Amino acid sequence: MAMYIRVKRSKTTYFIQCDPTETTLDIKQKLHTLIDQPVNDQRLILMNTGDILEDSKTLADQKVENDAVVALTLRKGCFFLLVFFFCSFHFLEMFLIAHHPFPVILIC
Amino acid sequence: MKKEDTVKLISAEGMEFVIDKEAAMVSQTIRNMLTSPGGFAEAEHGEVTFPEISAVILEKICQYFYWSLQYSRGKETEFHIEPELTLELMMAANYLHT
Repeated sequence: MAMYIRVKRSKTTYFIQCDPTETTLDIKQKLHTLIDQPVNDQRLILMNTGDILEDSKTLADQKVENDAVVALTLRKGCFFLLVFFFCSFHFLEMFLIAHHPFPVILIC
Repeated sequence: MKKEDTVKLISAEGMEFVIDKEAAMVSQTIRNMLTSPGGFAEAEHGEVTFPEISAVILEKICQYFYWSLQYSRGKETEFHIEPELTLELMMAANYLHT
């Protein structure tokens, strides 16, 4: 082990052993074994500079040093959540129109 | 790096630090907790809670574990300690036998 980085997300800090020649993707794969989140859903942000780490670049390229703090964010099913919200909004509207057509038309 | 090779140290506030077992074993106290026979919860789940140690101190301790590993492998760097942490850090170190 040449170095380690601290990956933080909400209340948890992961100490990850790594090498400056490893790529961001290697780190994400290590995280995958720890947190069961697919590599594609992970995003790592270097806290010193605020830069998003790119999968193909090595840690040394992106100035990630020993003891660096990296923030982890996860992609959740945003799209489906949005669709769900839109649908439920329409259902609510239809329900309101069916029951009190007049006030809803006024609001619209 | 496998999940079984890591331990989770939990501070007084409930902040969690996931570190390699190898690093945690730098502390004699944690080593005893994790290796003592009898199926203790700490050993089985790989989780140790420290209700007396704050997150700031526990993070510094984890950094020390890794520094210690690096040092033992011949990488001689300095370990920086903020003066305001020294007292609490010494008390924690005494408890952890590091």
